[in-house]
Amino acid sequence: MIELALLIVACGIGTYLWRGLGMLISGRVRMDSAFFAWAGCVAYAMIAGLTARIILLPTGTLAATSLAERLVACALALVVYFMFRRNLFVGIATGFVALVALTTIGRGF
Amino acid sequence: MVLAAGYLGFGALASGSEFPLWAALLSTVTIFALPGQLAMLEMSIAGSAAVMIVITVSLTAARFLPMTVALLPMLRSPGRFDWRIGAAVHLLAMTGWTASMRRCPDLPPGERLPWFVGFALTNWVCCLVATAVGYALADSLPPLVRQGLVFVGPLYFVLILIGETRTRHGVLALACGAVAGPLVHLASPQWSVMLGGLIGGTAAWGLNRMTQRD
Repeated sequence: MIELALLIVACGIGTYLWRGLGMLISGRVRMDSAFFAWAGCVAYAMIAGLTARIILLPTGTLAATSLAERLVACALALVVYFMFRRNLFVGIATGFVALVALTTIGRGF
Repeated sequence: MVLAAGYLGFGALASGSEFPLWAALLSTVTIFALPGQLAMLEMSIAGSAAVMIVITVSLTAARFLPMTVALLPMLRSPGRFDWRIGAAVHLLAMTGWTASMRRCPDLPPGERLPWFVGFALTNWVCCLVATAVGYALADSLPPLVRQGLVFVGPLYFVLILIGETRTRHGVLALACGAVAGPLVHLASPQWSVMLGGLIGGTAAWGLNRMTQRD
């Protein structure tokens, strides 16, 4: 339990470092250097990889849904999101309802 | 509002993974960055080494550096250290940042920091409440609705990433990361977030440079 708390606090400190560092160097460095471009790419790719992995190969609660159900719900959410001029709330609500509806139908209720 | 929905999902996911409530709340207080928190949760369930988790979570937060650098000149007088700023930047996250970048230029300089802190603090408290509510709800809901709630977290990122990424290297990084992440996961679950990000990100960065030269 203490280990878990320490782990979380350490993650918090690691996250804050970027905010603090950004504060210190704000206004003093150019942000368009190759290194920052690379760091930005890695950060984006990590989040994209994690998200894709959760949707394609989930563990825990989501593992009970099928890949097709998740992909269709995701696609519907994206379509509605763009139809409503990138309205996140409408898009997410659609994805939520779609997944619940699909899994309900899938189980023959 | 929508970020709170993401945290509802995070709470529900934590509950479904038998991750303790206090730990989920503590992570919202100290980390306050949904991608990092999801990575932490998934990795600790997969049994990754603590050092790996800390490094990965820290790296996924790298986006805060350019975000802070871009926002701060608007909030303060340059060069002067101010502890209030030090506390305020902890509350900086995607939602508060986009709202402030839009709203602050219209406010008189003296009102910008209070506006940002008010907005971000409200956000923070809502996310804490949402984490707890998501956690509590997950147990009492039918399994099908619970699955939908857990789905909200990753869905939030799919929409935000695809909808809000404008730069070319950003789009390349998303595509490469989305391919590399699951592939690396098949080979090595504990390393997938970190290695997938490094491989996908470096590939995207290289592709971007190569295509720019042509």
